[in-house]
Amino acid sequence: MAAHGQNAGYWFVAPAILLMVLILIAPVFIAAGLSFTDYSLGNPGFDWVGTKNYAHMIGRSTYKKMLWATFIYVIVVVPVSIALGLGAAMLINSVNRFGNIYKTIYFLPVMAALLAMAIVWEFALHPTLGIVNKTLTDGCGTWVEGFFSWQWIPWSDEQPSWYERGCIRNFPLWFGDKTYTLWTVSFIGIWQAFGFNMVLYLAGLTSVPRELYHAASMDGATKAWDRFRLVTWPMLGPTTVFVVTITTIRSFQVFDTVEAITQGGPSKSTFVMMFAIYEKAIQHNLMGMGSAITVVFLAFVLILTLLQRYFVERKVHYS
Amino acid sequence: MSKIQLQQISKQFGETQVLKAVNLDIDDGEFLTLVGPSGCGKSTLLRIIAGLEMQTSGNVLIGDSLMNTVRASNRDLAMVFQSYALYPHLTVRQNMATPLLLRDLTLWQRLPLLGRLASGHSSAMALINSLVDDTAATLKINHLLDRKPGQLSGGQRQRAALGRAMVRQPVAFLMDEPLSNLDAALRVHMRAELAELHQKLKTTFVYVTHDQAEALTMSDRMAVMMDGHILQLGPPAEVYGNPLDRRVAEFVGSPKINLFSAEVDSAGRVMSAGVPFRRRLSVLKNTAGLSVGLRPEHLQISTCAVEGESWPLRIVYKENLGSDFFLHGTINGSSDRVVVRAAPSMVSEISIGDDVFVQAEEGAAMAFGQDLRRLAFAEGQ
Repeated sequence: MAAHGQNAGYWFVAPAILLMVLILIAPVFIAAGLSFTDYSLGNPGFDWVGTKNYAHMIGRSTYKKMLWATFIYVIVVVPVSIALGLGAAMLINSVNRFGNIYKTIYFLPVMAALLAMAIVWEFALHPTLGIVNKTLTDGCGTWVEGFFSWQWIPWSDEQPSWYERGCIRNFPLWFGDKTYTLWTVSFIGIWQAFGFNMVLYLAGLTSVPRELYHAASMDGATKAWDRFRLVTWPMLGPTTVFVVTITTIRSFQVFDTVEAITQGGPSKSTFVMMFAIYEKAIQHNLMGMGSAITVVFLAFVLILTLLQRYFVERKVHYS
Repeated sequence: MSKIQLQQISKQFGETQVLKAVNLDIDDGEFLTLVGPSGCGKSTLLRIIAGLEMQTSGNVLIGDSLMNTVRASNRDLAMVFQSYALYPHLTVRQNMATPLLLRDLTLWQRLPLLGRLASGHSSAMALINSLVDDTAATLKINHLLDRKPGQLSGGQRQRAALGRAMVRQPVAFLMDEPLSNLDAALRVHMRAELAELHQKLKTTFVYVTHDQAEALTMSDRMAVMMDGHILQLGPPAEVYGNPLDRRVAEFVGSPKINLFSAEVDSAGRVMSAGVPFRRRLSVLKNTAGLSVGLRPEHLQISTCAVEGESWPLRIVYKENLGSDFFLHGTINGSSDRVVVRAAPSMVSEISIGDDVFVQAEEGAAMAFGQDLRRLAFAEGQ
């Protein structure tokens, strides 16, 4: 009886643990296991290939490009969308009227499915039909070109500017030129993410005690920058940690834009990890390779989460 | 030198008028308390002095210069907030250094890391640190300097907030109910400490509270505010002993003053519940809703009646404060409570339900007219 009594607790948690293992933990380990094989869906068996899949990732240029594209995307989208989100939140927080209208407008990209919006962007940035390049072309030969030639700035060099070169030849193929595509995709990522960050920051701002601002102005904080440094930014610490984590994970997961517009190209310049997993595992039916990328992807996210826990969280919760 | 003058200050929040043409002169080095029930506009007035709130009309002058358009940060005032408003991410030392850093260091010197390279940074920091240490020593919080506000008790936070206000040696301290978040024992202790601090610093203190006891114990002068007006301004003894308004009389003093409804005859003789007072009103105006106020310590208890001078009182409650007893009772079965202070030796034989007699101390009664203003008694009989 005594032994039963002691073990009863395990029986009670067993269903929850079992479900957790089956649904959350097992798939990760299965993927990790598959990453050491050459398994394809439908094949009766598979061979262990050791670390060959991982070696590809380091050795082959495709996967180097994949890591590079993902890295650049995250490095660009996270800080810019957070800065814009914070800026927009502080501006909206400071206005007395129309705040709700701004909130709704900025939140629109978040609500709209990125896949659908990607089509709109693809159309807008079409090299000849798109509104962007059409507008740029219309500016050629007018004062706009004169302005963007930068010749009116003293000591500027005689080289034709970016705009002039666009007028002479043509304006960029936003999704077809590998020098631009990743940046264009990043731009769409920022456009989509900053509204979400803004909403999170707006929530964070409402919890900043007004008395702290009053204390800051009594203490001599005349400049907006001083108030921001002394009150707003530290008090938003917990929000920022959350926003950084969420935005980073979501940026690592970018897929819709790439799938809808670029398919990873041109020449793998937008071959981000999620798309690589999809292409390898689903389209090419190389489950082993797909699993290996998945494991690397999970490792990145895990490392980020741990870093955030150990370095940042300790500094932002004050009580 | 640094008198604070308020001229015709009015403040409106939408339709509600919070302050109605308030005039107030605060002398240099004075401990002035703004006291009143919540919603009377005292905190708003303080924040207008501070510059955190803009008055709808009227002038704020500090040391003869007009401050209406001067920002809070440039008025050279320090404020202690009810919630202390310490920066939670900074240690007590950093909190206390903040006002000095913001005022004495340039923007360039305040930059993180890079600021250390700026010229004059280390000498400025040394000066700031020594000022912080001195202030901390005055407040006996040296051992707390490296802690964060979250690790401090209420009383310690209170001191840290005081320290942040003191470190800069401002023209005046503004305090917005600084003791109301402390427990009762600490509040009484801090009362004495603040009064001592004021003695030592000799700086102007403007202190807002809803607790009349704080106002009575600490201030040089107190201003009793109600409904956006200052009803009475004067030293605590005067406000307590000679209230000019029935609302002041009721607000100041604990337990509350006893008010009796009274009648007056054509000769000006005042009578309440069948007992005449010995004095006569000098002016017979506004006497319709006359009331007479008597503080609990101005009533005397006796077991035998004095004809024409004492009211019968039925004891309903005995309140023991150790040094004193407060007897609550009713006169002639009316529902109004009368509170009488009595020494413990007198009360031992009186129990709840007993009938005793009370008598007013001569010359202590105060008459208030229908407009709540004080009515003067004529000199002599």
